[in-house]
Amino acid sequence: MRFLLAITTYFGYLFIILMYSIKLIRYLRLPLHLRSEVYPIIPGDQTSKERSYYEYPNWWTRPRRHNLLQRVWFLFSDYFILREYFRRDKTYWFFLYPWHIGFITIITFHIFCFFGALASLLGIPVTYGSTSIFGNVIYSLTLVTGALSFISGLFGSIGILIKRLTDKDLRNYATPQNYFTYFLLLAVFLSGLYSWYFDPMFSIYRSFWRGLITFKPIDVEPVTASHILLFAFLLIYLPFTRSLHYITRLFGFLLIRWDDKPNLRGSMLEKKVEEMLNLKTNWNGPHIKPDFTWKELASEAVAQEKDR
Amino acid sequence: MNICKKIEDINRANDPLVEIESTDLMRLPDISDISIQEPPLKRLTEEQKQQYECSLDGFIAIGLPRPKTKQEEEEFVRKFLNGLEKLFSKENNWTFLQPLIHSLEYCVKCQLCSDSCPVYVASGRKEIYRPTFRPELLRRIINKYIKKQWALIAKLTRSDIDLNFTVIARLAELAYRCTLCRRCAQVCPIGVDNALISREIRKLFSQELGVAPREIHELGTVQQLKLGSTTGITPPALEDIIRFIEEDIKEKTGKEIKIPVNKKGADILLLHNAGEFISWPENIEAFAILFNAANISWTLSSELGGYDAVNYGVWYDDIQMARVAVRHSQVAKELNVKKINVGECGHAHKAFIVIADRVLTGDLNIPRESAFPFLENLVLSGKINLDPNRNNFPVTLHDPCNIVRLMGIVEPQRRILRKICQQFIEMEPHGVDNYCCGGGSGFAIMGSRNFPDWRVHLSGRMKLKQILEAFKNVQNPEIKKYVCAPCSNCKGQIRDIINTYGLQGKYGIRYGGLVELIVNAMIDIEKPFIEWE
Repeated sequence: MRFLLAITTYFGYLFIILMYSIKLIRYLRLPLHLRSEVYPIIPGDQTSKERSYYEYPNWWTRPRRHNLLQRVWFLFSDYFILREYFRRDKTYWFFLYPWHIGFITIITFHIFCFFGALASLLGIPVTYGSTSIFGNVIYSLTLVTGALSFISGLFGSIGILIKRLTDKDLRNYATPQNYFTYFLLLAVFLSGLYSWYFDPMFSIYRSFWRGLITFKPIDVEPVTASHILLFAFLLIYLPFTRSLHYITRLFGFLLIRWDDKPNLRGSMLEKKVEEMLNLKTNWNGPHIKPDFTWKELASEAVAQEKDR
Repeated sequence: MNICKKIEDINRANDPLVEIESTDLMRLPDISDISIQEPPLKRLTEEQKQQYECSLDGFIAIGLPRPKTKQEEEEFVRKFLNGLEKLFSKENNWTFLQPLIHSLEYCVKCQLCSDSCPVYVASGRKEIYRPTFRPELLRRIINKYIKKQWALIAKLTRSDIDLNFTVIARLAELAYRCTLCRRCAQVCPIGVDNALISREIRKLFSQELGVAPREIHELGTVQQLKLGSTTGITPPALEDIIRFIEEDIKEKTGKEIKIPVNKKGADILLLHNAGEFISWPENIEAFAILFNAANISWTLSSELGGYDAVNYGVWYDDIQMARVAVRHSQVAKELNVKKINVGECGHAHKAFIVIADRVLTGDLNIPRESAFPFLENLVLSGKINLDPNRNNFPVTLHDPCNIVRLMGIVEPQRRILRKICQQFIEMEPHGVDNYCCGGGSGFAIMGSRNFPDWRVHLSGRMKLKQILEAFKNVQNPEIKKYVCAPCSNCKGQIRDIINTYGLQGKYGIRYGGLVELIVNAMIDIEKPFIEWE
């Protein structure tokens, strides 16, 4: 059993890191696109400092205000607020919020378990009232994130499932896969909560992680084992869902919705645009000659040579 | 009758899938003793029903003829799938590949965007108009036919759409039930853009199958590239119109203004939507009066394509969009102007200033700006003497989506109105949260069969509601009211709304552009520039 737990956990982490990395790299390597920004750039009131530069005459002569940090902060902070959901559908937010918090904290819980195990291997006591501040902090954070994750996640999982099933607007668009995901997460949080009952200080988890770090897996209680297995399965399953939106959301805003970078003459961007314009297309519409480049197709001669 | 309640209902044989009845539509506000009469919706004739595919909602935007044989149908499906595959290749769709993949892959179908869609809400929440309906339908087709999911996975993702001519034709029509206003994109917490998917569907049909509404393609971009304008105005005809406009200015204001045409080396090339020359010449006149009064070095162009700022390609076809943008820039390059100023046309703003930004390179990349900040500078600088008492009537402002939500130009036009109008009333919501006029993405110029009825009654309904609410405290028809719509397409749509519902007679509501209001406030023009009848 202990080997099964260890192998599935190792595999789960490796798999999710590998799959998410591949997906992210593919996403980030997608070609330059035409602009399609939507305003306001930073949602909120219209007096935002980062106004559209198009509001100024001769905008190309002015320095462009571009506050990346503000943008990233806005996006990051939204993980803990879910502003639009709160603004537009409070019932949905009421269940989605704890569900999301459960999801975020279960990840951080495992990270703290890892560091707690590492600390204890280094001789730092990870207990209540530990002489080490680090040990104390890790101990407390593990406890808080674990408890918060299981309680919040379980409440959210049940709520979001009921909401999906009872709201016809959501139900009509839900797929069996969506329900499978809901049930899986519910099982993960429920098993976590149940195992917490038997291991209130999460010391078994830390021992398990010590075993993983030292490649000397240990046996754990069946309840804890079921949670570990379910969580490892979740890690393997997540890359097959839309869960990467947690990360791609950032790029969706920074690279698409808020991408207002102008193409100035002689810029690097202009070079990239040239590169794209020199790609050959093979659309078959009656007004398009196949195997011409975008640049050639846009030119007057080719445009008039073949029209409907 | 509302047969279509789920995505898979698109496969049903019912004709139509959804019947639009006036009684189902969103209620209009009761703001007056005079109730708004709901004119009946125009139905298709039996002959039209026989001839064209119209089984979506009983309206026709494209008018696809039905295939005569099974082979024709199979060929149509094959071509559609070819096009669908091309949407995911860098070579064929670098233009919107990343936004498309982001929107298809990461939408969680939370439906937060539904209530932001004016068409969906105004229709009485008909499922087929929901912003997530089209993308989900496309997603399921992609899963089954492009990704070729295994049977079990396909079941798990409900990818159970069977493709045939009817389903594809319904999808094509459905792509023309979204005004591309992108209110849905604005509210999505994940950055998904369902309106973009509507446009990608339109693009697939145009670029691979040659399917697009006639007004947008044949009479639109093709005619513009060939004759010079989507209106059919040729360069010689334009010269005549300009002479007429000069005479009209003299008659109205007593001013003798020579409109500069093809003036090489001018500071500004002013690009108007050519619809203004035909339907609203007062807009062209007002620009000429203002620019003349401020002693600006400017010119119009009478070169092929240089006098029509429109770029319908932005609604349906990347290649046509690029061709028109290149043509515009070539005209400016030949005139050797310092910059291009886009007049009161929303989609021309977006197409030429923003989207074509990554199409025009080198000496074709000529600085382009909106007329709004330029006009604001003129008005607030004190170069022109203006008296707001001359505009002492209620004025509300319509925000064209392309200029406001999609370019962020929010305040310049407001600062102008606050300076020159005594009774400026904001619509609610306004600014970047505005509602589309209902004529966006080509709808305002699509006038065949019964589509204009759909456009006025459904996609324009939210705007009608907003206009009525804006003027709710000044209902007396004797009090003249002005809807300022600084965009040609929006003006066309608002004109049709006003005419259909009789708003001018019942409420004294008329419409016009922004620049006309500025000239109306000019002290050195004796007679009011705005004519109310």
